[in-house]
Amino acid sequence: MLDLQPQYAVAHHYDELYRPDGAPRPHYEALAKTLGRLGRDEILARVQAVNTALLQRGVTFTVYADSAGTERVFPFDIIPRILTAEEWGRIERGIQQRVRAINSFIYDVYHGERILREKRVPRDLVYSSKNYNREMIDVDVPHDVYIHVSGIDLIRDESGTFMVLEDNCRTPSGISYVLENRDVLKRAFPDLFNDYAVCPVDDYPGRLLDVLRYVAPRGSAQPNVVLLTPGIYNSAYFEHTLLARRMGIELVEGRDLIVVDNVVFLKTTRGPERVDVIYRRIDDDYLDPLYFKADSTLGVTGLMNAYRAGNVTIANAIGTGVGDDKSVYRFVPEMIRFYLDEEPLLDNVPTYDCTDDVQRRHVISHLDALVVKNTNASGGYGMLMGPYASADERAAFKDLIEANPRDFIAQPVIQLSSSPTLVEGVMEGRRVDLRPFALYGRGVDVPAAALTRVALREGSLVVNSSQGGGSKDTWVLQ
Amino acid sequence: MLSRVADSLFWLGRNVERAETIARILDVNYTRAMDLYSQRDGRSEKLWHSVMQCAGFVMEPALPSNGRAAHECFEFCAFDPENPTSIVSAVRIARTNALGVRAEITTEAWESINVLYLYVEEQKLRSVMREGPSKFLRRVRDWSQAFAGISDATMSHGDGWNFIQVGRFLERAYMTARILDGIDVANEPWHESQRMLEMCCASAPFAQASHHAPDARDATAFVVLSETFPRSLRFCTREIDEAMHRISRSPRGTFAIDAERRVGRLRSQLDYTPIDDLLVDGVSTFARGLVRQYELLTRDIESSYFPRLPVPA
Repeated sequence: MLDLQPQYAVAHHYDELYRPDGAPRPHYEALAKTLGRLGRDEILARVQAVNTALLQRGVTFTVYADSAGTERVFPFDIIPRILTAEEWGRIERGIQQRVRAINSFIYDVYHGERILREKRVPRDLVYSSKNYNREMIDVDVPHDVYIHVSGIDLIRDESGTFMVLEDNCRTPSGISYVLENRDVLKRAFPDLFNDYAVCPVDDYPGRLLDVLRYVAPRGSAQPNVVLLTPGIYNSAYFEHTLLARRMGIELVEGRDLIVVDNVVFLKTTRGPERVDVIYRRIDDDYLDPLYFKADSTLGVTGLMNAYRAGNVTIANAIGTGVGDDKSVYRFVPEMIRFYLDEEPLLDNVPTYDCTDDVQRRHVISHLDALVVKNTNASGGYGMLMGPYASADERAAFKDLIEANPRDFIAQPVIQLSSSPTLVEGVMEGRRVDLRPFALYGRGVDVPAAALTRVALREGSLVVNSSQGGGSKDTWVLQ
Repeated sequence: MLSRVADSLFWLGRNVERAETIARILDVNYTRAMDLYSQRDGRSEKLWHSVMQCAGFVMEPALPSNGRAAHECFEFCAFDPENPTSIVSAVRIARTNALGVRAEITTEAWESINVLYLYVEEQKLRSVMREGPSKFLRRVRDWSQAFAGISDATMSHGDGWNFIQVGRFLERAYMTARILDGIDVANEPWHESQRMLEMCCASAPFAQASHHAPDARDATAFVVLSETFPRSLRFCTREIDEAMHRISRSPRGTFAIDAERRVGRLRSQLDYTPIDDLLVDGVSTFARGLVRQYELLTRDIESSYFPRLPVPA
C-alpha cells in the first residue's frame, strides 16, 4: 500500500493535497482513495511502463551543459495536480488581464511611448532592456497583437494565493508536456479519471492555429502558416514537431526559407511557395543575420525586411522581450492600471530594483534571504538562491550586482506550494509551480492546458527542467 | 513538399532498407558458415570476403585468415560506426532523418524507428556474439519491416510517402545488384545460387515459381526479372518509376526530369530484354553496370529535388 499520510511538514507552506490539519482537501479525496486502492506495486509497475512509453515516443529534452546534446526523458510524476473550477476561473481572468496589459505596453513602447512620457515606467529601463528592439519602432503588426503565445509562471504563497513569478512573452515552451502527460496518464492510469470531470487539453493546437490564421497579413484567405524551429538539436524540438503535426502545418528550418523582393518563400520540390505566417520558436537574435547576429545560421536573410513590409506575420512579434524583461516585471501592475484602468487580479512577487541605491544596498546586505535573478537569463540559469547558496557564491553575486545593477533583480524567497509526488516509491511533498498558456488573437484565450512543473529534489524551490525539474498532469475541473 | 524534407524521407527509406538487408545478409551467411561445406579449407574466409563485397566493400578492409573472419566481418558490417553502411550507422542515419521530419511522419512510424534505434544502441558486440547474432539480426529485420508496414498503413500516400518509397526500392535494387555481383556461381553453382536466393529473401518464392532446385541461370533470372517478386531488380525499378511519376505527376511513359528518364530507360531494359542477353558478359559485369546506374539515379534525384534552390525570379 502507498502510504498516503503526509510525510512532510505542511505548516510553513501551502500543500496542494493536505490541509494544515492533515486531512486531504475535498477535491483530492477520490484521487487519494484510488491511489491507495491500486497499491504501491501496481503503481510502480505502471510508472515503469509510462517511462518506457515516453522514451519510445521520444518525449525528450536536450540538456545543454551535458556532453553534446544528451536526450533525456522529462521526468513525469503520475500524481496529477488538481485545480478547482473556481481556482482556475480566477487564474484565467488574472492572466487575460495581465496579457492584455503587457501587449498594450509593447505596442506603446514602439508607438508613441505614452507610458514613458507620463513617467509611469522609467524610460531608461525600457531603453536598456536587451530585448527592446529599435527596429520595431512604428512597425504595425496585424491587429496590434504582439504576444500571440505567452506562458505566465504562477506560484502559490504560504496562504495558497496564486502570484505571478515571471512572464514569458517570447517563445515559451512546455505545452507538449501538457499534451503528452495527459495522453500517457489516461492510458496508464485510466482509473484515476473515474471520479473527476477534467477539462480536455487536446484542443490547444487547434486554438493556436486559429490565432495564427487570424493574424495573417490581410488579404490571405488561405494563409500558409509554418512553424520555424532551430532544428533537431534544440531542447524543445520535440514540442515543435508535436505542434506542427497537430496543427497540420509545415515544420521548417531557416534553410528551408528564402526571401525574394520582401516576400518569404518555402523551398519545395515544386519550387517556391509563399509563406504568410511564421510561428517561430527561434529567439529574435537569430531570426535574420542582416539585422541581428550576423553569424546566425538558424535564421533567414531578409526576413526582417519582409516583416516590416507587412508581407509576413511573425508570432510572437519581434521585440516582445521588452515586456517580459525581469526588470520590467515589477511595473506590470502599473501597466494594468494605466492601460486597462483596472486593479490587478494576480499579484506580483515583491521585487527589488538593484539600480536604486537604497534597494541595492538592502539586497546586498540580505543576500542570504533573497533570490537574485539575472534579467537576461532564463531556464533557472544564472540565479542565486540566497538561503541555500555558499558564502562564496553570495560574494560572487555581490560583485556581479555591483558591476551591472541593471542586470539583476532580487525577490524574497517564496516557499511555493508542495504537491504529493512519487519519489522512489514513496509519496513525498515536492514544490510545484504552474504555467498556464495564453493565446492572443481575437481576444485572450487561456486554454485549460497548464503545465505543472515540480522540483524533484527534496527541499528545492527550482522547478526548471534544466535544474532537475519534472512535470505533472494538471487537471482543471469542470 | 519541402526539399529538405523530401531529402530526409528519401534517405530514411534507404537506410531502413539498408539495415534490413545487411542484417539479412549477415544472418544468411552466419548460418551457412556453420555448414560442413563451408568449413573446408579457406572456404570460410572466402565466404566472408564475398559478404563484404555484397555489403559494398570490394577489397577493403582485408579480412584476417586466422579463423576470425566471421567476427571481424560481423563487427564491421553490424557495429562499426565508422562504416557508413553498418547496421548501427544505417539506423542512426535513419533515425536522424526521421527526427528531422518528425512532423511529416506519423507517431507510429516514428516510434518504430525510435524503438529500432534504442534497441541497436543498447546492444554490445560481445554479448550479441555470445548468444549468437541471429536474435539481434532478427530484431533489426523485424523493426525495419515494421517501419515499412507501419508507414504504408498510417501515412498518407502523398509526396512524402512516395519519397520514402523511392528510397526504399532504390536501396533494395542497389543491394540486390550488389549481392549478384558478390556471388560466384561459376565455381559453386548450387551453393552459391542458393546463398544468393537466401540473401535476397527469394528462396521460397523461387522454389514456388520454378518447381526445381536452383540452377544458376534460373536463380539469377528470377532475382533479376521476376515480375512479382518484390526484391527483383525489375520489380524494384518499376516501383521507383511509379513512385517518381506520382511525385512529378508526369504521365507514364514520359519524363519530367533526368531521374525519370534514367529510371524509365532501366525499366524498359529490364522489361524487354531476355535474361541471356542481359547476362551476355557475365553476371558480374551486368550487376556492376546496374550498381552504377542506381548510383547515377541517386545523383539525378538529388539534383532534381534536393538542390539548394536558386533565387526565384
